Amino acid sequence: MSHRVFMSIHKREEDILGIARAARQEGLNIIDIYAPYAVHGLDKAAGFRPSRLPIVCFLLGLTGAGLKVWFEFWTTAVNWPIDVGGKPWNSWPAFVPVTFEVMVLFAGVGTVIALFIATRLWPGKRATIPFPGVTDDHFALVLEERDATFDPGKVRALCERYNAVHVEEREQEIVP
Amino acid sequence: MTGEALEFRAGGGGALDAWAEPDLGNPWVRQHLHDFRAPAKTQRLWRTFMIIGAATLALGLFVAPGRVWAAVLLAGMYLIGLGLGGLFLVAMHYLTAAGWSVVIRRVPEAMVSLLPAGLLAVGAVLVLHPSLYEWIHAETGELIGFKGFWLSYGFLLFRALLFAAVWLGFAAVMLGHSRLQDFDGDVDHTRRNVAVSAAFAVCFALSYWLANVDWVMSLEPHWFSTIFGVYNFTGLFAGSLACTILVAHWLRQQPLLRAIIRDDHMHDLGKLLLGACTLWAYIWFSQYMLIWYANIPEETVYYVQRQAGAWHPLFLMNPILNWVIPFFVLLPRGCKRSGSVLTRVAFVVLVGHWLDLYLMIFPSVSPDAPSFGLWEAGIALGAAGVIGALILRALGRAALVPLKDPYLQESLNHHQ
Repeated sequence: MSHRVFMSIHKREEDILGIARAARQEGLNIIDIYAPYAVHGLDKAAGFRPSRLPIVCFLLGLTGAGLKVWFEFWTTAVNWPIDVGGKPWNSWPAFVPVTFEVMVLFAGVGTVIALFIATRLWPGKRATIPFPGVTDDHFALVLEERDATFDPGKVRALCERYNAVHVEEREQEIVP
Repeated sequence: MTGEALEFRAGGGGALDAWAEPDLGNPWVRQHLHDFRAPAKTQRLWRTFMIIGAATLALGLFVAPGRVWAAVLLAGMYLIGLGLGGLFLVAMHYLTAAGWSVVIRRVPEAMVSLLPAGLLAVGAVLVLHPSLYEWIHAETGELIGFKGFWLSYGFLLFRALLFAAVWLGFAAVMLGHSRLQDFDGDVDHTRRNVAVSAAFAVCFALSYWLANVDWVMSLEPHWFSTIFGVYNFTGLFAGSLACTILVAHWLRQQPLLRAIIRDDHMHDLGKLLLGACTLWAYIWFSQYMLIWYANIPEETVYYVQRQAGAWHPLFLMNPILNWVIPFFVLLPRGCKRSGSVLTRVAFVVLVGHWLDLYLMIFPSVSPDAPSFGLWEAGIALGAAGVIGALILRALGRAALVPLKDPYLQESLNHHQ
């Protein structure tokens, strides 16, 4: 899917924070912001919705722990019961350490995989960098030119108030 | 469309200004931070608690000395935990070169003032009522080998004095540097405190472990657990973080501090509390599981007693208050940033920490069933009063924010 986008390049952190906030206040549709490092407060300024990864992480942890308890119960109490030190077969304290480990394994590895799926990152994928400087010392704000009400002239003026060093319009593949 | 954007920019153009950070260079603001006094009403409340505690103590010493002395030992260990915990948090702040926590550092520093009070309470037990420890009356040879040598009254008092001197010495040096810096702004104070904190971390680990063996574990001299010191340390960590959260939240009622100690700082404290409670649960279970697995009678006796009769519900309550509630409530980001949720959880953890110590101390005093009544409740209230009154007083002793700390700006700009 290809869209017409408007891109504005900035040199300073304060400017990208400012333009992100201003763009949101103007009701512009921010597709993405590219920055060479994590800028604190940028997600809030741009109004991005909070990540849903924590929920995925929690559910994966729960799944891992549940599966492990079931598996350990099945092996030690159902399928092949072994008497260890005279303890009951379904001794839950003995299950705890491995359950903990499997929970961490599921939650940790699973969250990374979920992140890759959600952001469509996979080995060998070509990077879509809108402007070479964003891996070094520039910040890029990418807006969607959604409909006819988008006035490139006005938006350009807005960007320039936040010291945009470069502004351009182009067709771009959009990752939803 | 541009009017709005312009206004926003004219307002200072940033999220920082939306929070109206006060100008710490302003002499009026500095004076205000230096001259903090707690409201008289709050001070009266804590003093009332202290009077209730003192009355219970005075009466109980004649009516029910056994239970009251055990309650005093519990209160003393609780106060030492919070006081040393405060010092530990300050030391960790310096050792990790933390920037974010500068604005809340005066809270754990104020908690250090609980240390002398706690030492006084434990010292009173050791000097005035040593028979709380049954080994005091042990015939020679009843405790064999090294244990017989270690658990002798004179050596116990010597160690207690040594621990007290080490802790109070470190506290005086670290707090001294921190407070002097408010006046001369010398970065050297920070550098020195980093070195002192490193030495403290080592001394603290050894001394707090041995102190717990001496004052709590030896209540049941035939039982032993090598993880006991670590276990108590994790309780201290969680408890002192919970106390820091409550005091910091209370300080935020001050309009000036509301903009300095922000949700972001509370959020980080919440994360630490979540981690500390989980660490506590990890160690609590480690101690339990190894004893359960090995199933050696001289070790299991500790848990057998605590899982019998009316002790059992309390025993189960302990991990619920100290881990289940804080863990699941504090998992979502929103809960860590909400003052009302975070303070409620912190309160639960503080109650849980009291229960944790109760379960270590009281089974040796009332083995058959837990004793909780006027005496225990009165002394606990008194301890709460001492905690509140001493922290409030200590907060007034220095500026509420380390005004000339080199990391102050980093802390003011802290974001999540």
